[in-house]
Amino acid sequence: MRGSFIALAVATLVVTACGQTPGGSAASNPPSASDMPVRGGTAVIAIWQEPSTLAPVYANQTVSDIVNYGVLEGLAETTNAGEYVPTLAKSVPTVANGGVTVTGDKMDVKWELQSGLKWSDGQPVTSADVKYTWEIYLKDPKVNTRTGFDQIASIDTPNDTTAVVHYKTIYAPYPLNFYQLMPKHLLENEADISKSDYNRKPMGTGPFKITDFKAGDSITLEKNSNYRLAPEKPYLDKVIFRSVPSVEVAMAQLKAGEANAVWNLTAAQSVDLDKITGLVNQVVPGPSVERIEMNTAQNKEFTDPNSVNPVLGDIEMRRALLYATPKQQIIDKLFFGKAQVGSSPVSQGWAAFKGPQEGYDPRKANDTLDKAGWVKGPDGIRAKNGARASLSYTTTTGDATREKVQQVLLDEWKAIGVEVKIQNQPSSVLLSGSCTSKDPRKLGSFDLVQFSSAPGIDPHSTVLPRYHSKNIPTQANCAGQNYTRIKNPEIDAAIDAAGATLDQEKRKQSYATALKLLNDAYVIIWLYDRADIDARQDALKGWEPNAWQRFTWNIESWWLKK
Amino acid sequence: MGRFVLRRLLQALPLLVAISAVSFTILKLTPGGPLAAYEGNPLFTDEDRARLEHAFGLDQPIPLQYLSWLGQFVRGDWGYSFASHQPVLSLIGERLPNTIYLMGTVFVTVLLLAIPIGVVAAVKQYSWFDHLVTGSTFAFLSTPTFWLGLLLIILFGLQLRLLPIGGIDTPGQPFNIFDRLRHLVLPVATIALVQLGSHVRYLRASMLETITQDYMRTARSKGLGERVVVLRHALKNAAIPLVTVVALDVPELFAGALVTEQIFGWPGMGRLFWDAATRFDYPVLMGILTVSSGLIVLANLLADVVYGYLDPRIRFG
Repeated sequence: MRGSFIALAVATLVVTACGQTPGGSAASNPPSASDMPVRGGTAVIAIWQEPSTLAPVYANQTVSDIVNYGVLEGLAETTNAGEYVPTLAKSVPTVANGGVTVTGDKMDVKWELQSGLKWSDGQPVTSADVKYTWEIYLKDPKVNTRTGFDQIASIDTPNDTTAVVHYKTIYAPYPLNFYQLMPKHLLENEADISKSDYNRKPMGTGPFKITDFKAGDSITLEKNSNYRLAPEKPYLDKVIFRSVPSVEVAMAQLKAGEANAVWNLTAAQSVDLDKITGLVNQVVPGPSVERIEMNTAQNKEFTDPNSVNPVLGDIEMRRALLYATPKQQIIDKLFFGKAQVGSSPVSQGWAAFKGPQEGYDPRKANDTLDKAGWVKGPDGIRAKNGARASLSYTTTTGDATREKVQQVLLDEWKAIGVEVKIQNQPSSVLLSGSCTSKDPRKLGSFDLVQFSSAPGIDPHSTVLPRYHSKNIPTQANCAGQNYTRIKNPEIDAAIDAAGATLDQEKRKQSYATALKLLNDAYVIIWLYDRADIDARQDALKGWEPNAWQRFTWNIESWWLKK
Repeated sequence: MGRFVLRRLLQALPLLVAISAVSFTILKLTPGGPLAAYEGNPLFTDEDRARLEHAFGLDQPIPLQYLSWLGQFVRGDWGYSFASHQPVLSLIGERLPNTIYLMGTVFVTVLLLAIPIGVVAAVKQYSWFDHLVTGSTFAFLSTPTFWLGLLLIILFGLQLRLLPIGGIDTPGQPFNIFDRLRHLVLPVATIALVQLGSHVRYLRASMLETITQDYMRTARSKGLGERVVVLRHALKNAAIPLVTVVALDVPELFAGALVTEQIFGWPGMGRLFWDAATRFDYPVLMGILTVSSGLIVLANLLADVVYGYLDPRIRFG
């Protein structure tokens, strides 16, 4: 059993390495006879969170995406390598292929739809749907985010398969602007989409359509006979997403054979499943990096970004904390090796920056602090100019993994004479991203804060809001995610340069410059790149990794071995 | 009697308004908010946050937010969930039948078992049956439901594979009453065993008190059969404390069982409340809290009315 799994895993890797066909994942190697896809069957996927809505305009949960990858499609999507490939479009427009024309600081993108595309109700997909999708995002006040859509001035639809999108600015992530298309013919007469059936049963062009949504219980997807790859795909007849109350219950259902797959496990939980024959963990290095951000300004509410943190304002102190952080040890002990040492916020994709952060060396940490004039007091804690090396350390409460990381670092840092006080907060506060909800990162009321947040596929949506000095949140303007309050004109210039061009090579160099400078300022300790771990029965085949999408991204190619 | 009920109902109104005001304030003062859920979206900007805060009315002062909620609530508009944008009433409407299924079964099961067990244990005090009942009810009463539920799952679901470990039906199959009953067994057992513990002990204790009363001897000396003495004379009087306990079970028919529904993935009101609480979904929370407190008030009133029936000496003044 085990041996056959390894063989399959190798086969999967080979298939993946051989590249993907546009918008799908059809294997280019003919699989061996025993691994030939079988048609039919129902796959049950246990999800331990329930999508409150599936409408792409409102959804804000990862789990909504998990379901929607089986249902909704857009013009283009992302491969595991972070490259854009067409889904419903004929090709991804670029400057090189003439699809994108830049005039001054504006740009036009010309999308050509494939011919004969149909919504799951049999109606044709047209360029009017592209325009309608944009319009609804701007019209409805309750939509999740207008990012990208707010950069569009107008859309022309010269014919049914052509949409020309006129951008007001140079908007580099344009290929994914329309990654979930909405059906105009179904929705144009709805006064409020949130109150229509679409809210729970969005209609798309994907391999499946939603036939049942039982709140708190299950969501049923059935084969879409109008799918562009039908009748070849999907292989499965039905997919049922079963809502369960916790990961533990999801795992129990997988073990009991009530579920074929389980979404989202921690490394420790996956180790538990590793021991069971017939179950497979799918570990995909994710683009999110767990990190500790250090506040260079004073630790107080609505801190002045020009103030200086009495301890962390000293770059030597920040440098010493990095030297005293045993990243690899944390990964080995707490993640059983199922994570990568972090070194930058852009760890995946074409702009990946892997310039390493210096490694673990507690002696160097002590030397650095000695040289910088931080003198140990009688209690073993250092001080300089009357400032005691005592820091608060905040992360989300109730997260066992993060709490263990804190315990490790508490001891390590104490050993170099730095005292740390744990001040954890619920994620609904710490990650609220809102000044009124008292997010300490926004207010500046923290010394050290540990968290992770998913990066955008385009690096600009990660780098600009987080490290440009114009994005430091203040009392007057709570916007921005530059939580370390770093102000470096060279970083600003590099980010601005990257945003002013569509030339990928130039952009990559500019981001590398900015991220190198960021690492040289020692304001963030990149702990580890988080891995996405999902589990399934060995009998559920066809799964492939994709760091940028969720594990159901190629569900049309899944099949059940009998 | 009619006037008594009417007066009590009128007294309840300001009480309910006060409860809702306090709940609303506590919810609002809890740090965090419904927009934390958007943090995972790398495209979510601060402009998006400001727009949504405005769309949900979160940018208003708390007293104004409360008044506008109350105004809509009394007119029958319970608002819309921040998370799903569905009307609160329809969210409750789709969960309520499932909870009534679960809690109704528990309610009936517990009553059918508690009364005979409590009566027999009291009448045969210090018998082996009484010792068994007092011992085991004490054990179940002290057992946390989350632990008992998990224990039952491990034993009957994972080890013996006799019963499903969660959900209300087998997914992907048409409704089948036997399938539904199989799914009911473990969650019902989890709640019923704990409730049974308390109900049996209440009834046993008050039965013991009653059967030593003088009027019991009188009844027997009148030549009444033991059956009639115990059931008509003793049980009717001994049931009063039980009525209070049982009446307070009634609101649970609506509110569901928070912990048990969570463990067994039962799509009822308890899970709706739990999910809403973790998402700071104020309109859903307020809807459930207000109805629950209303039902508690009503259940107490019901208990008072039943007292009068059981014991005519209790008058409605």
